[in-house]
Amino acid sequence: MSTKKLVKFISYGALIIILFLIPLVITGPYQLHILIMAGIAVILTSSLRLIFNSGQLSLGQGGMMTIGAYTSTLLVMKMGWSTWVALGAATATGALLALLVGYPFVRLKGIYFSLVTVFLAEVIRLIAEQWRSVTGGSLGISNIPPPDPIKISGLLEISFTSKVDFYYLILVFTLISLLILYTLEQSRVGITWFSIRESDSLAESIGVDTTKFKVLAFCIGSLFAGLAGGLYSQYNSVITPSTFGFFYAVYVLIYMIVGGGRRFSGPIVGAVILTFVPELARILKGYQPYIFAVVVILIIIFMPEGLVSMPDRFIKLVTERRGHA
Amino acid sequence: MAASIYILVALGLTLVLSIMGIVQFAHGEIYMMGAYGAYYFCIVIGLHYLLALVLSTLLMGVAGIIIEKIFFRPFRQGDFLPSVIMAVGLMIMLQTTATVSFGSSIKVVTTPFHGIITIAGAILSWERLIIIVISGFFVVVLFLLLRMTKIGQAMVAVSQDMQGAALQGISVDNVSSFAMFLGCMLAGVAGGLMGAIFNLSPSMGGYALMKGIAVIILGGLGSLPGVVVGGLILGFIDSIVPPFMSVQMASMVGFISIILILIFRPQGIMGRPSQ
Repeated sequence: MSTKKLVKFISYGALIIILFLIPLVITGPYQLHILIMAGIAVILTSSLRLIFNSGQLSLGQGGMMTIGAYTSTLLVMKMGWSTWVALGAATATGALLALLVGYPFVRLKGIYFSLVTVFLAEVIRLIAEQWRSVTGGSLGISNIPPPDPIKISGLLEISFTSKVDFYYLILVFTLISLLILYTLEQSRVGITWFSIRESDSLAESIGVDTTKFKVLAFCIGSLFAGLAGGLYSQYNSVITPSTFGFFYAVYVLIYMIVGGGRRFSGPIVGAVILTFVPELARILKGYQPYIFAVVVILIIIFMPEGLVSMPDRFIKLVTERRGHA
Repeated sequence: MAASIYILVALGLTLVLSIMGIVQFAHGEIYMMGAYGAYYFCIVIGLHYLLALVLSTLLMGVAGIIIEKIFFRPFRQGDFLPSVIMAVGLMIMLQTTATVSFGSSIKVVTTPFHGIITIAGAILSWERLIIIVISGFFVVVLFLLLRMTKIGQAMVAVSQDMQGAALQGISVDNVSSFAMFLGCMLAGVAGGLMGAIFNLSPSMGGYALMKGIAVIILGGLGSLPGVVVGGLILGFIDSIVPPFMSVQMASMVGFISIILILIFRPQGIMGRPSQ
């Protein structure tokens, strides 16, 4: 058992080291941009899965991202806050909004919950579009400053001027987020969420305050969506109300389902692979979205449990063959 | 006028949802294709607007049958998530098809109906009157179909209990095909009608889908009279607010009131309470 753990530990360590070494090999700004976007998608998809673990499917994460992005941007540009503090504030706003609407929302079950989150995201988008004096209307805000440089005298100095700096920034944030999400899932709270997903009336009957735990899941998921929004705005330097519309939320949902919603690794695999698929099909120009749609549909038809179920299915196939022989 | 379009879109959505258990996210794209169909037959080929509308509506109905067979049949009444993927995949494909074949520039359908008419002091344009009449016709036909005909009763039975209906000898496959046929026809006619008033663009479906979902939630899932009531309320909000504020504000007021209604009455206005 301990050797198995050791192997796991070493392989994850190696993977992380490889991720840190990537910019040495891949130096094109475009390739790095895609990797950065994949990182943001991983944060968002994994946080969506955390909400899903408690049996609720939020389609409003795009709205939470918009809130995070605007909070961070406005605090930096209008109030002159430090970008790092503003990023923290963006993260907090996502969670606060979720807390505010969470109690009434989680009373709704199944598809009703998903749909009110859609409407919430729409309302957020419309506010961002209408409140022109603050948000710049539908054109959004441009020239958002990058994160303040980190200076530890004599040791290191990062000024966030190149894509490589941003790559490391997003990588660090993604890894920290994943670590937090994983720890949460393994904890008692995480197990309680699973019990609510399997049967919320059963969970309630043994004394679980399901409402509280559902709101908690929604808050934590939205917290990371706020963080992802803040990071995106500082990286991209432009933010518009419709950057994270309904479509974005649906894409994130696709990442999660295609990767496999049952496992922690599912959303990560789904987000990374599906961020790359459209890029590989770039030669097809206008027909490019077809490839994405076809790939996604084929995966769901042949692997309803998602991409991460592939090794299991393979092993099962092999052992079954052996059994017959 | 807006209300009648919302009702048409939402009726199609709710038919497919209650019979197949699938939220048809590509419904807005069928609506968009219906509008482009009318544009193609009317402007490119040069047929009369009404004939173009009929052709495009029928075409959408047939497309619905094909879509049901290829995309949705394996996922009927099954897991919610895979069916979402199928619908969204379809949505992306249809949008791409429209962009590739018609371009993303805005198109306009011109109708032979011009001028205005005054009914009891209210001034209406002919185009809008036609929309109201045609959609009213479809709503009445749909209700009669569900009440009076055998296939209509079969649809009601399947929506209440699929297995029970199958045990009574009702072919669930045929009923699903028919539901998709009707649903897509309703979306197609709504698109074709709307195309006569507003501009066409490949992304117009998202708006219709959003309004359609809003209406069925407002009215209560699975309730047809609820759809009509919900559509009227939302249409009323969308026409009463803009003179004071903006169109976007009207949308916002609509969505916020839906959220509020759901919080106090989770099953919608005319829906049955869920277990």
